[in-house]
Amino acid sequence: MKCDQDKEQITRYINNEMTEAERSNFELHLAACTECSEELEAGQQVWNLMGEMPAPKPSADMTIRFQSMLDEYKGSLVEKKNPFANLWEHLKQLWVLQPRMQLAYSIVLIVVGLGFGYLMNRQGVEGNKEIAALSSQVHEMKEMMMLSLLENPSASERIKGVSFTSEIKSTNKEVVDALFSTLNNDPNVNVRLVTLEALTNLASDPAVREGLVQSIIQQDSPLVQSALADAMLKLQEKRSVRSFRKLLEQKGLDTTIRTKIEKTINRLI
Amino acid sequence: MLKVKAGDLDKMGLLFERHHRQLFGFLFHMTHDRELSEDLAQNVFYRMLKYRHTFSGEGEFKTWMYHLARNVVNDHGRSLKRNIRHLDIEDFAERIGGGAMADMPLHKKQELASLQQAMSKLNEESREVLILSKFQELRYHEIARILDITEGAVKVRVHRAVNQLKNIFANIGD
Repeated sequence: MKCDQDKEQITRYINNEMTEAERSNFELHLAACTECSEELEAGQQVWNLMGEMPAPKPSADMTIRFQSMLDEYKGSLVEKKNPFANLWEHLKQLWVLQPRMQLAYSIVLIVVGLGFGYLMNRQGVEGNKEIAALSSQVHEMKEMMMLSLLENPSASERIKGVSFTSEIKSTNKEVVDALFSTLNNDPNVNVRLVTLEALTNLASDPAVREGLVQSIIQQDSPLVQSALADAMLKLQEKRSVRSFRKLLEQKGLDTTIRTKIEKTINRLI
Repeated sequence: MLKVKAGDLDKMGLLFERHHRQLFGFLFHMTHDRELSEDLAQNVFYRMLKYRHTFSGEGEFKTWMYHLARNVVNDHGRSLKRNIRHLDIEDFAERIGGGAMADMPLHKKQELASLQQAMSKLNEESREVLILSKFQELRYHEIARILDITEGAVKVRVHRAVNQLKNIFANIGD
């Protein structure tokens, strides 16, 4: 006989999901249908075996963890409600957590540190004086060296001497005079150009500006003349116009320089 | 749970006492990992606290708990071992732990280990309904609410799952 029963009933039967009436009905069918009763038996077997599957027990640890989580959560709620009270709690906790000896140590350390720093500072004031004296000595030495280098017969040595002036901050009259005499008299064009550059950097001193203006007519090299024109333009030195005009009166002036100087004069006026 | 929702968080402890074993059981059957199950259970209880305002009070607490538990498992899901290729008895007994299987005869242990292996080969849907209906001893109407499907659908799923398990188990036994 072909079984027309709904097979899902078997599982429901096993699973005890049937009403009393359904149950007795199905049992009647089972008695007559071998197909269903075989299937029921197989299903029941697996089902019962599943029932024997041991269920592990959670460890006691779990309860402890839950409790601490709950406490923590409640704590976090309090925190939200009253941040300041909680901050105070935290501070108090900090005090409790920090053993007092440690705190005392750190205070002592801070005091010692402050005292030491104070002493160092006082020594520092005296030290500063020494350093100032030393640096002025070095300064003088550099000036000396520069002056002696400017006397050197080698052009490159003289350039080196001029370049020392960039390291000398204060404009010493002696130094400036030495530089001007180099600018006006040095036989080497390159040395003169470097000197001009060095003097341009010192142009905040009015004496230096004056000297530069004076120097215009003394130059015969087109390169230096051109550089001077540039320098005057850069310094916006209007007094140089007269010197330039004088230079223009000279015969045998390079034509390029002539036009350049004319332009410079125009821009200065 | 309604009291917890109203702010009486200490009642959560009571709920934990009452339900944590069941929850742990479900998670263990889903994951086969004791430690992980405890972590996940902890996570479920944490979510209960955090999302206590979402508990409507209409359904049963248990239903809601399983809802959260399923979400937690799903969130973790990607890293779960889907399929246990080979499960030897020692490993199996160790997973269950606690000497629960110490007194069993060897052939029974073997049988249960095979069953476990068969269960792990079921698809997620079938495995879940079997766990809920057999291990957690929930009625069809409860499962329907947890899974958010009709009771009829639960009936179909359980039946299908039992048949699948039967077949897989028979093949392993051979």
